[in-house]
Parts: sequence; C-alpha cells; structure tokens
Amino acid sequence: MNGSGNWDWDTKEKYVTDINELKKKFPSVRELVPSDDGEKIATTVRNEERRFTTCVNGETWEETFERIYSLKFNPAGQLISLALRDYEWSVIIDREMWEDKFDYIWNLTLSPDGKNIAVNINKDQMSAVCLNGNIWENTFFDARDVAMSPDGTRTASHVLTKRRAELDNVGFMKKNWTVAVDGNAWDNTFLNTWGAVFSHDGSHVAAVVRTDLVQYTIAIDGTPWEQTFGVVWEPIARPGSSEFVAPVQTPKGWTLAVNGKPIWGNFSQVWRQGFSNDGSKLAAVVAVSIGNWTIAVDGKPWNTVFNQIVATPVFSPDSKKIAVAVKHKNQWTIAVDGSPWSETFENAWNPVFSPGGDKVAVKAERNGKYFVVVNGKIGKKGYESLWDPAFSPDGNKLLIRCVDDGKYYRRVIPVNEI
Amino acid sequence: MAVKEKIVSRDFKEYVREVNPDVGLDESIKGLTPEKIEKTIKAVLGARTARIRAVLETCIHCGLCSKACQWYLSNDGDPSYAPVAKMRMTIWEMLKRDGKVDAEFIKQCARIVFTECNICHRCSMYCPYGLDVTFIIGLVRRVCFVLGVVPQRQMDQDHAHATTLNQVWLGQNDWLDTMQWQEEEVGAEYKDLRIPIDKEGAEVMWLPLGAEPKTGIYHIERTAKIMHAAGIDWTVPGKDVWDSSNMPMFLRDFATMQRIVRGLFDNAIRLRIKKMVLTE
Ligand code: SF4
Ligand code: SF4
Repeated sequence: MNGSGNWDWDTKEKYVTDINELKKKFPSVRELVPSDDGEKIATTVRNEERRFTTCVNGETWEETFERIYSLKFNPAGQLISLALRDYEWSVIIDREMWEDKFDYIWNLTLSPDGKNIAVNINKDQMSAVCLNGNIWENTFFDARDVAMSPDGTRTASHVLTKRRAELDNVGFMKKNWTVAVDGNAWDNTFLNTWGAVFSHDGSHVAAVVRTDLVQYTIAIDGTPWEQTFGVVWEPIARPGSSEFVAPVQTPKGWTLAVNGKPIWGNFSQVWRQGFSNDGSKLAAVVAVSIGNWTIAVDGKPWNTVFNQIVATPVFSPDSKKIAVAVKHKNQWTIAVDGSPWSETFENAWNPVFSPGGDKVAVKAERNGKYFVVVNGKIGKKGYESLWDPAFSPDGNKLLIRCVDDGKYYRRVIPVNEI
Repeated sequence: MAVKEKIVSRDFKEYVREVNPDVGLDESIKGLTPEKIEKTIKAVLGARTARIRAVLETCIHCGLCSKACQWYLSNDGDPSYAPVAKMRMTIWEMLKRDGKVDAEFIKQCARIVFTECNICHRCSMYCPYGLDVTFIIGLVRRVCFVLGVVPQRQMDQDHAHATTLNQVWLGQNDWLDTMQWQEEEVGAEYKDLRIPIDKEGAEVMWLPLGAEPKTGIYHIERTAKIMHAAGIDWTVPGKDVWDSSNMPMFLRDFATMQRIVRGLFDNAIRLRIKKMVLTE
C-alpha cells in the first residue's frame, strides 16, 4: 500500500477527463495510464502533423516529439516516459528531459519508491544501463534487461562482451555473455545468461547461466552453483540472506533449489516462486502432472488443480493467505488458499489483498465490460476501462479508477457497496 | 559436376553423396573424443532405451515407410534414404556398438538426421505399426546437438534463440524500434493505424516469425493493415518472447525450446490477451 494513507479517501467521485473529447481533438489517442492514487490520467496523443505529445488530465504538453512510449507514473505521481525528440532518445520526468541523449532507450525500470529510474540505452552501437541520467562507465556490444536493487541505487544487465561475427559458432562457444553490475562485468562469462536479480540488501546479484550447450545453473556474483541442471528458471532472493531460490529441472522432475540443492519435492513444472512479506513462506506455481496446475506452499501443493493457467501468486500483507488468478476450462477466476471463487470471468487480473488480508479485490472482464470483484462478489457496475482496485488503509473502501461513458473518473466506494 | 564421396555403412556397402562442406559438421567433430561420444550417447539414450527398443524390435523392415518419405521418393527410390535405413544407420549402430562409435560416424549421423530427414512424421503414418521414426531421428539429433555437431546455420539459429530469444539475433531495442518505425511508415497512409505494443487486455497478440522484423518488413506492414482493416483489437509484446518460431525444437535443444514457449505464454498472461495469432 505505497502511500495510500495520503490519498483522498473521502471524495466519492472525481470526474477527471473526458476521453471522448480527447479522441475528437486528436487523430490518435493511445493507451490510458492512471496514477496510483487515480488523480491523474495520462496518454500519448498524435496531432495532425503526426507528432506526439502527452496529455495529462486533459491538458496537453506544448512540446511535441517524434515518438513517446512506456508511460508510467511513480508513486509520487510523476509521469515518466521515453521520448524521441530531434532524433535523440531520452527519459522524460513530467516534462523534464534528462540531459544525456541516446540512439535508443528501453526497459524503463523504477525502484519501488519510484525515485530511481533506469533504462537500457544504446548509443554508437554500444549498450548499457543509464540510472538517473548517469550512464555506466563501461558499455557493451549488447545489453538485455534491467535489474535494479530494491533501494534503487544499483543496476545490472545481461551483456555481450565481444562483438558477434556472423555464423561464428566457434566464437559463440567461447562464452561471451555475462552480467554487468553497475557497469562492471563479472569475470566469468557464459554461453548465455538471463534472469538477473539483486539480493534484498542489494549486495549480491544472481542470474541463470548456461555453462555448456545443455547445462544450466545459477551464478551468484559470477560464481556458478556446483550443480548443473537441464534448465533452470529465474532466481529470486531469499529475504534477509545472500541466498537465492530458483526452479531447476532435475532427472526426477522440477523442484526449487538453493545453492544447487533441492529444497522441495518434484513436480512436472515449477515457476513464479515468491516469498511472503515476512519471508517465512515460499510459494510457487507448480504442475502436479502435465496440464494440472496449482500453487504449492513450502512444497505442499493445493488440492485443487487448474487446467490452463495459474498466474503469479499474491501473498496477503500478513503472509497468511495466498490469492492467484487462474484459468480453468476457458474461464478465469481467483483462487484463495486453494478455493476458487464460484463466479468465473472472461479475464481476471492479479488479485489485491486488503491491508488486513480479509478481503481480496480484482479487476475482471465479463461480456466485454470490466468489473471490480471483491471476495467473489461482482460489482454492480461494468466499465469500459478499469485498472486494478486499491484498498484504503482501513480496508473498508476501494479506489476505483475507471472510464465510464467515455469519461475517466476516480471513485471511492465502500467495499460493502460495490 | 558436384563432387561425390563414397560412404560405407553396414547396411549399404558403398553409397554416394555429394560432398557438402559445412563447418558445423566438419570442424565441430574435431574436438570429440571416444569417451565424450560414448558418454553422450548413453546419457541421451539411456533413460529411453525401452521405448527405442520397442521401435527397433517391432520394425519388420517391410519398407512401407519409404513410400512416405520425400527424400526416398525424390532420389528415385534410393534405399539409403528410406526412413528405416536412417534408423539403422544411426541409432541402431549406436546401440549395437554400445555407444562406441567414432567422430566420423557422428558426422555421418548428423548428415543423415539433419540434412536427409525433415522430421515430418509422414513415415509413422505409413508404418503398419505406427512406429515413431521421427522420435528416433529426434534422439539422434539430440545426441548430435549435445556433441555440438549440427549444420552451421541451424546451430547459429539455436544460439540466436538461446541468447536473444529470436532466431535472427535481434536486440530488444531493435525489435521495439522496428515496430515503432513500421507504425510510422504504414501509419502515414491511414488515419489511425497503429502497432500497439504491450496493450493490456487486447483481444489478439500477434507473434511474428523472427525473420519478419529483420528481412520481411513488409509482413509487419501487411499484418498491421489487415488488423486495422478488420478492426481487430491487437497488440505485439514489448518484451521477450515475440518470435513464435522454435528452431531449437528441430535440434532437440529442450531448454531453449521450453524457454520460447514459456516466454510466449508469459506474455499472453502478463497482457491478459485472449488469442495468440502466429505467422506461419
Ligand atoms: S520423418 Fe524423415 S524419414 Fe520420415 S518421412 Fe519424413 S523426412 Fe522421411
Ligand atoms: S514401415 Fe514400420 S515396420 Fe516397416 S520398415 Fe518402416 S518402420 Fe519398420
């Protein structure tokens, strides 16, 4: 609940912007992006001259750009976007552009508090990461993905250390990929690498590494685990430690491993693992057999299985419950601690717990309209557009950010009146 | 006249093939040792010997599968291209010799399974027992892949998939830039033609083949026009994986193969799209 205590929980309805009007005014209006507190709604628009600008709460910036994309509000309500102006790319924070300009920028990444901003950059055919306007000292022949430490002060990326020659399979086998942290590449290199992630204190980085054509493992700060596997998925950090947990494929099946050693039993698949807020529980999506998906908590699967999708599990703030969006027999719903809601939907987004953990709210789609659903009960009103609901700190009210009849509203609704 | 070489096998005392130099086969066998070959064969075939033997021991060498095979048919019924011959000359020998085969043998296996079979599965349809010849060919491909003995281009595509998650080595920036640039190009002719990137909740997520944004740009343009004209609510993913081709499948590079499929579904789940539309 990032700062939701400071939000306006008293005003029942704020009409913010007429989206239909905007569509009349501009030849092209792109996707809408609301701020976390719902007070602002932003979008990119294209004018008659085929130039782009940004429009926040109906007010259009004067400056125009060749391109703008990747709009994101930080928790403080600043709008961050990536823009091309006079054929140079840079990051824009509200209307201020970073001084440094690049040939391309992508993978906009914000720290949880939104104060630190990083992107992958490409300039003069070399790539790196730029954090808060400061580009890494070392650049690389390619850089893929941005990983950021939780406090936002450090960044990492998967980098190519030697220029690739066409069809050079011999050169490939010399291992040219590694992880660079704050611009410093690990000494060890690998055939390829992905999934870099920082420890909670930001002092260690782990990533998936391929040490041989058919051998994969996790490397921490460049040192691979002793054990290798058929393949491994992305690691996560164990809270309060320098250890990382990753799904690994062993001859017996998939399991979770720490330091190369299995910590769970075997499944047909394991991924999307996550720790509870207090770090005491570990949950993951597992397939107990082919096509039978569920959540396992500390290695023990729920009794209910779903035949299509189990999305990312979400822990309640008190770490006691887990909710997850699931798709079964072509219908989406939410399952809480193994029990699916009886109502099903054409689409359901990731669930949100109330601060006390007693309520679960979610955005879901039915007959082409979007509804807020709380504890399995569907809200009365269907909207044209809707974003994830948010609970008030006391858990009694919901913030609804919606487009209703072509207009964007910020609404606050008592949970029992949805 | 193409140069031809004579190849000897237990089944065909002498048969000829055009010499087709390929560093992926010729060079990569140089580093192989008998120990490495034996260990690899045993590792790949080990757990599956029952299923392999079921195929090999059920096969009555009737040759009916030959009539299914494009290689056999287009080489005037040359029996050295028959599906059953491909099994006999590769896996049969590996098992018979308990994995004790030399590097040259591995090279011949790679030639057979990668360049004289398209793993099309037709032979299984023609076999009276429905024997899964392609499964066997796939295992031999796996042995060759683990040993690094794969035709150069195929191996290069696999490396491309493994590192960039597309078969043409496109960087993440190049993919996004290409989509944006294509929207500008095509968009000029239409009022609001878009190539929406990462549009959550779209009806359709389009996943091209890797070659399209690299060398088949006009496909992007046409797809955008079709989606626009048909009024489809569509998107392309802004993150990996967007290339729906799966070359690692043909090498039996199981890890990369899984990463691709998983990545496509991860994007579908992340964006909560309803349908995936792939180029084929
Ligand atoms: S799978 Fe191979 S051997 Fe069988 S018919 Fe197809 S090309 Fe011929
Ligand atoms: S048709 Fe079947 S049984 Fe006959 S040779 Fe081919 S694989 Fe063997």
